[in-house]
Amino acid sequence: MKPLPLAMRIGILGLTCAIIVLIALMTSGANPAEVMTALLTDTFRSPTAFADTLKRFCPYMILGVAVFWALRAGLFNIGVEGQFLMGGMAGTVVALQIGGLGGVILGALAGTLVGALWALPAAWIRAYRGGHEVISTIMLNMIAFQLSNHLVSGPIMDPEAGFPTTKTLPPESMLSGIQIGDVNVNWALGLGIGIVVAFGWWLRRTVAGYELSVTGANSTAGAFAGIDVRRTTFSALMASGAVAGLGGGLQAVAFEGRFFMGFSTGYGFDALGVAILAGSNPLGIIPSAFAYGLLQQGALAVQTLHVPPGIATLILSLLVILFSAFRYAKVRHSNG
Amino acid sequence: MSIVALEGITQRFGDFVALDNVSLHVQKGDLHAVVGENGAGKTTLMRILYGALSPSSGTVSVRGQQRNYRSSRDAIADRIGMVSQHYAIIPELTCLQNLMLGAEEGAVMNLAACRTRADDLASRMGFSFDWSAKAETLGPAGAQKLEILKLLWRNAEIMILDEPTAMLSPRDADALFESLKKLAQDGATVILVTHRLPEVMDYCQNVTVLRGGKLITHQAVTEVTKPELAELIVGHALTEFPSREVTPTEAVLSVQNFSVIGDRGDEAVKGASFQIGKGELVGLAGVDGNGQRELFHALLGTRGFHGLANLNGEDLAQNSTRDRIEAGVRIIAEDRHDEAIVEDWSLADNAVLGFQRLPSFRAGPGINEAYKAERVQEYITRFNTKCTSAAQPIGSLSGGNQQRFVAARALGESPSLVLAFQPARGLDIDATRAVYQGLREVCERGAGALIVSFDLDELLEFCDRILVINGGLISSPAAKKRAEIGQLMVGAK
Repeated sequence: MKPLPLAMRIGILGLTCAIIVLIALMTSGANPAEVMTALLTDTFRSPTAFADTLKRFCPYMILGVAVFWALRAGLFNIGVEGQFLMGGMAGTVVALQIGGLGGVILGALAGTLVGALWALPAAWIRAYRGGHEVISTIMLNMIAFQLSNHLVSGPIMDPEAGFPTTKTLPPESMLSGIQIGDVNVNWALGLGIGIVVAFGWWLRRTVAGYELSVTGANSTAGAFAGIDVRRTTFSALMASGAVAGLGGGLQAVAFEGRFFMGFSTGYGFDALGVAILAGSNPLGIIPSAFAYGLLQQGALAVQTLHVPPGIATLILSLLVILFSAFRYAKVRHSNG
Repeated sequence: MSIVALEGITQRFGDFVALDNVSLHVQKGDLHAVVGENGAGKTTLMRILYGALSPSSGTVSVRGQQRNYRSSRDAIADRIGMVSQHYAIIPELTCLQNLMLGAEEGAVMNLAACRTRADDLASRMGFSFDWSAKAETLGPAGAQKLEILKLLWRNAEIMILDEPTAMLSPRDADALFESLKKLAQDGATVILVTHRLPEVMDYCQNVTVLRGGKLITHQAVTEVTKPELAELIVGHALTEFPSREVTPTEAVLSVQNFSVIGDRGDEAVKGASFQIGKGELVGLAGVDGNGQRELFHALLGTRGFHGLANLNGEDLAQNSTRDRIEAGVRIIAEDRHDEAIVEDWSLADNAVLGFQRLPSFRAGPGINEAYKAERVQEYITRFNTKCTSAAQPIGSLSGGNQQRFVAARALGESPSLVLAFQPARGLDIDATRAVYQGLREVCERGAGALIVSFDLDELLEFCDRILVINGGLISSPAAKKRAEIGQLMVGAK
């Protein structure tokens, strides 16, 4: 049988996804049009809603870079979530200790360092012992989750608070932003965009970036081309962890101002989708991260319509699957 | 009457016409050769007979009746068997399991009966097998024999063999043809796809020549001479590749007591000592699996070694692959897909591969894009790689065109030592000559080259000197004499 044209296959897949979403909405008894509108436009409803979207957009962007970095070296860093948590906790503790602008800078650096340290076992095992990074990073996530919960419930908990959280940073000890209209745009966003752009440049315009991409695309050919594949693998996972830790540190000193149980709403896992949805161009991380931020914000609004917020996750997951199918088809097409 | 008759076969793949109105008639009991260059359509034609492809037009008749095979399964049921160039043997299974695989006699197997039948088939052919041994213990000749037994196991009486001697030593190849002759005497029909003319002249009765997807001629072997056949295959007169005398004054590469440990922990190369002089094209002859791969990898730095290795006075023991590339080592890798290219990437991005750290290719922290653009054009034009532009993904080119590009790249950036593993793989005769001519030219400018090939005739024709590797031991025959080298390859001398 002759396969259907590519466009038609993608169309069918898209339609199937739309139907799944529709069924999900109908079974929850909501008006699909109303829900979709709320999902997509809630971000623009009020300055607060927009600020909340930006608060998610920033870590999605930075963690998107972290995942993308590893992905380009042919590695799945599932551990971004744990690296983000550990970075966020370290950043908070350091910023609380030091205070002021110095605390902000050292807090972000501490996050970076701890994120890289949290990736170290996985990077070493993968590069020099051949153990799969997916397994080790999942395990490291669990340790990070339990360890941060434990610390924030005891040793670093604010004794006056009624639930597991640290003290809150005073405003002068946090990263500020500039006021644009009603919305405060934190400098962390500028930094996030800067990280995406710098990473894109590094990946596409430097020899080190070229070698990373060769390693990810065909490591045997890389070894024949004089690339130290092990070292490239090791440093890619370390860099990925460092960026994820920086994301955590920044989240603490720029947006949250403290570390608490539930500091991450699963940013690290969503970031896997952000990176895949970004496509082959690192700059694609920016719109992809914004889409994630926007839909997760909309997810809060649909709760008022008695639809579970999981609908946003459902849509995002379907988008990622659809996109992967599309990319896969394109690759196969060029080979056939 | 012909046992096999293919009439007016045309096969299109999209816009590409792989076979254009080709016919083939094979007599029962014949050894029938189908010859032609890579890409002439030989394998495509055989896959049609074997039911693996259904032709765009034309008819297939077997034993006088028209057939319409929908898959190889139908062809096998019709007692047609094919051994492809790449053996379909699973190393982890035993020889007996491999023999039966896909042709078991039912859900429950009577292993004793299977063994008896297996012994029976083997003794008919004069082979002997340890049926309970793992297939990975077989050498290339053993694997080839097992493949032929697999056809007999399936009761094939029309056997298609695609380049069966590509991996065999001259002695094993002769033995193979003796068994094929025996099979033909017993009533089997053998269709042999090959590009080695001596075996056509010595063993076959009829020959069909294809070129560019068209039928050129169909003749009895007695009516044609070897040079005539070569011209029919290439389409123009061939002159002999000019031989030359090289007396190198200094060594580019010098190895002493050089040993390499293989994947199984055994010594794959055992204390080799040899030199490659400036200007010299040295061929390494040997049967596949005798340590060529390990030697090659150790020289390029992806595998460690013991002993001494010296490249233009530099000790290689301390040098990584990257250092060696900087010192002028260039590589034409054996497995193009895995070792030499990134298939999804453009020719331009593949042009940089291996050279990314060379000062000439650098500009600040990145690649010198202007130089890269200039070099990729040079690599494309050097051996006429057919492509639409340098931005085309290399994986979308034919294997032969990829090989031209990879060979051109290895001759670029002033090499001092070219390591080439089967550099002519997938190339037609003209392109093969062009590549060897290119190798000769870089050697004339002061480089040396080591060529690994399993095709002794190719090495004899193009190399200045031959080394032989057998069981990890390297010997240096006194002269380029085919018979003597053939004996060294199997350790018979």
